[in-house]
Amino acid sequence: MTTALTVRNATKIFGAQVALDHVSIDVEPGEVRALVGQNGCGKSTLIKILAGFHAPESGTEVTVGGEKLALEDPVSSEAIGLRFVHQDLGLVPNLDAVDNMALGNGYLTNKSRSIRWRKERANAREALANLGYDIDISLPVGSLQMSERTAVAIARAMSGRGTPPKMLILDEPTANLPDAEAQRLYALVDRVAKTGVAVLFVSHHFDEVFEMAQSVTVLRDGKHIITREVEGLTEEQLIEHVVGRKLEEHNKRGAEAREHGPEVLKVNHVSGGSVADLNMEVHRGEVVGVAGITGSGREAVAALVFGGMARHGEVMVDERELPQNRPDISIERKVALVPAERHANASIMEQTLRENITIVDPGRHMTAGVLRRRPERADVKEWLGKLTVKPGETEYTMMQLSGGNQQKVILARWLRQEPSLLVLDEPTQGVDVGAKADIHRLVEEAAAQGAAVLVCSTDHEELVRVCDRVLIMRKGKVADTLRGEQITADSITAATIGRDTAEAS
Amino acid sequence: MSEAETAAPRRRINLGFDKYSGLYVWALLILIFSLWIPDLFLQGSTFKQVLSFQAISAIVALGLILPVAAGAFDLTIAGALTVSVCWTAWALANHYGVVVAAGGALLIGVLIGLANSLVVVKLQVNSFIGTLGMSSILVAIAYMITNSQQIVLSTQGYAPFFEFAREEILGLPRSVYYAAVLAVIFWWVLEYTPFGRYLYAIGGNPIAARLAGVRVGRITMIAFIISATTASFGGIVYLSTIGTATPDSGSGYLLPVFSAVFLGATQIRPGRVNVLGTLVAIFLLATGVTGLQLAGAPGYVTELFNGLALIVAVALASRTANKRS
Repeated sequence: MTTALTVRNATKIFGAQVALDHVSIDVEPGEVRALVGQNGCGKSTLIKILAGFHAPESGTEVTVGGEKLALEDPVSSEAIGLRFVHQDLGLVPNLDAVDNMALGNGYLTNKSRSIRWRKERANAREALANLGYDIDISLPVGSLQMSERTAVAIARAMSGRGTPPKMLILDEPTANLPDAEAQRLYALVDRVAKTGVAVLFVSHHFDEVFEMAQSVTVLRDGKHIITREVEGLTEEQLIEHVVGRKLEEHNKRGAEAREHGPEVLKVNHVSGGSVADLNMEVHRGEVVGVAGITGSGREAVAALVFGGMARHGEVMVDERELPQNRPDISIERKVALVPAERHANASIMEQTLRENITIVDPGRHMTAGVLRRRPERADVKEWLGKLTVKPGETEYTMMQLSGGNQQKVILARWLRQEPSLLVLDEPTQGVDVGAKADIHRLVEEAAAQGAAVLVCSTDHEELVRVCDRVLIMRKGKVADTLRGEQITADSITAATIGRDTAEAS
Repeated sequence: MSEAETAAPRRRINLGFDKYSGLYVWALLILIFSLWIPDLFLQGSTFKQVLSFQAISAIVALGLILPVAAGAFDLTIAGALTVSVCWTAWALANHYGVVVAAGGALLIGVLIGLANSLVVVKLQVNSFIGTLGMSSILVAIAYMITNSQQIVLSTQGYAPFFEFAREEILGLPRSVYYAAVLAVIFWWVLEYTPFGRYLYAIGGNPIAARLAGVRVGRITMIAFIISATTASFGGIVYLSTIGTATPDSGSGYLLPVFSAVFLGATQIRPGRVNVLGTLVAIFLLATGVTGLQLAGAPGYVTELFNGLALIVAVALASRTANKRS
């Protein structure tokens, strides 16, 4: 039997950076292969070369089922039998499964150019049945379960009208799936492989690798590190391949135990969003980090604590319960939230820096029923200076600033409130190196001045840098806590992707 | 002092074509008509006519600025005006007295605002669609009140009511002064109170505003109530000025008032709806239309001129905005 996919000497250079360095892999028909590595290791570059989005350097050769792939040509990639399902699935949520499947493949029409709906529906049902799914194909896909949506996307990829598929390529297939639904997806992938189609999936989730894949390829810094059977591989070995060195033993006790003040934040059995049961506390002067992969609950912690989204359970700040969904009351109680994705959640782009900073308490400079611009400007100017915002002009609009400076403006909005609890969600997302260092310094200063600080972040180096303690989220709960010297980027990475072998009851 | 000195050499002469283009165009229009038809245009009565004809539009437009600042359309302004006109006429014709008639009209405005916020804030219906539906309901109510008839108030029988808008002070009817007072109040609210800041923040990014502690639902509700109540007040002024109520009294106000608010957003404070810009827009359009009519243009020139002016102004404004960023 011919090899399903052969990649020889795949190389791609972006400017001065070698994203992919002479990578060669082979995948056999019916094989399920996991492709793993840290962010920036080259796995997305490889996928994009296969999909025809990137032109690789010369010397790169790709064959699918023995046929040579014309590079940088998405049509050839499809025609030769490669099929892709991206992480966002690419479905239109308000259309049903039949329409979604026709989106990529085109509608079947009769001679009078009208759509052969009966045939379309039968085809859709059959394609899904082949994957072991029986879905109401008349429902908008947005109302389906996540794993069912994934099934629709895979069914669409597998039922192209042209060449039969030889290889299915999935990007983070179970990233957003709860456990039970992930199990269904493993079975689905198994069915696909049994038809003789090869499957290659990119993954950050080691659960997925061990449950679904027969073999695994590890990339690091653009280089091929190893390809081997999953059988006999331990999690520690895999992490070691991914990270590139043996992990430090992290059972030393935190040597430098800082003294912290009284408890400011206490979270009791809170659930909401991807968080199932959150318990934690943060003390005065303490910086606590929250780490976790997407779907672990990390992304919801900040909003739940602040009261920005609906929750169950109890959040106590300074021994008083904080109501849900009332940001105004949270702010009165000296709680501050710097949310993730500042464009969507924090910035008012076409307004001035002054208005962006004082929106939390515009009445501060009001005398005799009139907002006084002069003291307001002076106040804002001072804060722009403190946070080294450039340009520090109060009347500039947010739009005129770089990402890092925008983030500093949002931080100024909240530091100006002198919060007793400062919650930061991805505080340095899309921020340049210099601004990042400034923001870390400001966080430490806030803590030194007595704020309790909670930092939710996917940037593990950042957590190492600023945190006294790091909480590891898995499956909506705090699964682990790292303290003092235990906190290293590697240990955080290992803990976040660690399998719940000792599943906490 | 020293700051002014160092700043002075760097300052370029700025004629403010970006912010004040409307004022320039206005002056240009006055100049053109003064040269073209001096006998007809350069009369005191022309200016009086422009001001008093636009007083009602100005009042309604001022109220509309609030929900639009918060990113919500309020299409019920014309309906609120109509219902207010019909109710007031009906109450006066049935001898309920001025207080019940006018007080009732304002109360109806508050209720319309509450109903709008129920639909838009609580039921989460898109404001354009929600207030469009409400408008249709208001037209039906106007027909019910008037029994589909025209109500004509005789000048003798309701003299004090007619004085409410028509009495002249310094040569201008009182309606012009009402518009001026409301303009000052709304200007203060939008520029110099936290409420105004909240409105613009919601209009800019409602999610960010909420997470910054702005009570988005409540503020939007207040904006809807003020908008409809102001339109109702405009209805009282309308009836006092015109003296006749029909179920389509207000239908001619919807488009020009919205045009004025959007055109106004290109003036004085480009990019955001504002009081002064709206006033400039209203009087600029009225001057153009009045001048053309005096020069003998046919009746449809009003709509034609309003429509073209809105499109040209907004198109030019978005072009300059693109260049800046």
